[in-house]
Amino acid sequence: MAKTVDQHFDDLRQTRVWRSIFRSGTGSSTLKRALAIQQNVFLHLFSTKVRTRMLSLSATWYLGTLTLGAFLILVATGIPLMLYYHPSVPQAYADTKDLQFVVSSGMFLRNLHRWSAHAMVLLVFAHMFKVFYRGAYRPPREFNWVIGVILLLITLLLSYTGYLLPWDQLAYWAITVGSNIASAVPLVGEKIRFLLLGGHAVNANALLRFYVLHCMVLPLVAMFFVAIHFWRIRKDGGLYSHESEPATVRANAAGTQIELKEER
Amino acid sequence: MTESKDFLAGVDSNAKKSPRRIVFITRRTSAQVKAETEDQVQTFPEVLFRTAVAIQLLAIVLVWIALFFNAPLEGIADPSHTPNPAKAPWYFLGLQEMLHYFPPVVAGVLIPGLVVTALIVIPYFKVNIEAEGLFLKDRQGRLLMFYVAAVALCLFLIVFKVYAALVPTLIVSALMLLAARSSPQSSSMLRRYLAARPLSYWVMTWFLFELVVLTAIGTFFRGPGWSFIWPWQGSL
Amino acid sequence: MADEKQAEQDLSRRQFFVRLGLGSLGIAAAGTAAFAYQYLEPNVLYEPSPVVNAGKPDRYPLDSVTLDVNSAIYIIHSQEGFFSLSAVCTHLGCLTAWNAELNVIACPCHGSKFEQNGRKIEGPAPKPLPWKRIWLNDDGDLLIDRSADVPALARDSFVRI
Repeated sequence: MAKTVDQHFDDLRQTRVWRSIFRSGTGSSTLKRALAIQQNVFLHLFSTKVRTRMLSLSATWYLGTLTLGAFLILVATGIPLMLYYHPSVPQAYADTKDLQFVVSSGMFLRNLHRWSAHAMVLLVFAHMFKVFYRGAYRPPREFNWVIGVILLLITLLLSYTGYLLPWDQLAYWAITVGSNIASAVPLVGEKIRFLLLGGHAVNANALLRFYVLHCMVLPLVAMFFVAIHFWRIRKDGGLYSHESEPATVRANAAGTQIELKEER
Repeated sequence: MTESKDFLAGVDSNAKKSPRRIVFITRRTSAQVKAETEDQVQTFPEVLFRTAVAIQLLAIVLVWIALFFNAPLEGIADPSHTPNPAKAPWYFLGLQEMLHYFPPVVAGVLIPGLVVTALIVIPYFKVNIEAEGLFLKDRQGRLLMFYVAAVALCLFLIVFKVYAALVPTLIVSALMLLAARSSPQSSSMLRRYLAARPLSYWVMTWFLFELVVLTAIGTFFRGPGWSFIWPWQGSL
Repeated sequence: MADEKQAEQDLSRRQFFVRLGLGSLGIAAAGTAAFAYQYLEPNVLYEPSPVVNAGKPDRYPLDSVTLDVNSAIYIIHSQEGFFSLSAVCTHLGCLTAWNAELNVIACPCHGSKFEQNGRKIEGPAPKPLPWKRIWLNDDGDLLIDRSADVPALARDSFVRI
């Protein structure tokens, strides 16, 4: 009897090459499913099991996940866009026009990048407010909240640096206004502005600095902090849900202390 | 010789200090830990599939929007010609609106700096951790403090003519007054809900409200020279 | 018995949806790959045109070999007419030079030598220098298309005035 496709796949999974890459293999047993997480370099940030309450949609609205999704879309669209973009003046503007009208799918990629950027800023704010309103910042999660605020600032900076890159009127004057606000910092404001722009005005140096910030520095910093942010979730006991917190944390929230009595 | 004693293990889990747990064990007994059991599911597939679906839905929505709406692109940057109005990206328009009323040091540095600092320190204050209803304890005293703060803030805004920011302040103050007159035994669900809200909730809600109002005004109601226009009068 | 066999061959609901899902994913992936490939291939090149204008034929006296270094071609006026060779050595791409005393085209990099008609005399070059399409335009200028190879020594590979 001829083998079915599934049977051929099973044979493939038994080969030495396959088993050298995917050590634990697939399967629907509890062990196999746990191994799929634990043996995977990207996924083993998760624990192999989670509390059912953490899955609830109404608790978090999955805003954190969606923010991460927006970030991934931005990276996936941003890198191809870099292939047709020269960060020089005035080539940058010509390249943006090229991307819109000459390059295949260029218009779509640029649109997707732009709208995902707006979506990400919105989602980051929404995520922050949702975490606050459900009290998920309380001990032991205080530091993760602080990391979250840092990520908010990084997101705004990423959006701001990216805004300049098309080098159109919208970009130029928005960044001029923004850098002038930066110069209002007492004592060091002018210096900050000078360093940020690489000069006294928004010109070729500014474009190049913003390009490097936007494409290299800030994404790396963001990924660094995102990794810490996820790690802290794991180490703080998973996503917050009031009923799941240990008795001590619940007692804290109620402003009481707790006594433990030893049992025989 | 073997007197049995009951030991009480006290646990001070004050959030300001790191928790210490001390267990006293008598001879020939063992410490018993009551494990809290709770329903658990496997990460793969439960978490991963839900995550994948959520991200896919987001991707679909964004792709649809990207297919039908084009990102804006104006003329090439021209340092000699400032468009009127020159607007920052939308998430900074709340800030730009405030620049209309206050000098750059205040609106651009002081206020954002204070906001970020305030956000960062939220989880380190006991009052935010305990999160009890604001007016449930010491009602008269707190009501007095509320009046002072609300009136001072409103006066400040009126003096600087920031009428836009006055609206959320008034609305939130009205809700807080309603909360002060409610209790967990109130008749309507809304009043019970409001009565239980802590201070941090009121401050954050006020902040969220202000953010939305100021950004909306900066986006839709400001035209050339940062003058006030109706949304249909200007081009977005 | 027959029912069991039937049930084995029938698709379960789960299998159907798995196949539907994987199939859609496959189609989407294939579509994305196609569009991605189209994206990566540039539609516009910021490079000079392969067609070179060599000017009027009387600039090139009979039995002359002229090298245009900017466009890397030889314009040669022989007894049979005008023709053009690529000046790029077929070994590893160095620019060759015409040595009038020795009557050879020589490559400085690894010592390949070619005759005036492009045939290799000696050296590591694997192929002769290719002939390029040459023609007269309406203004009477000689035009050479560097992207179009023509057979060596063929009748149509020459321009006769």
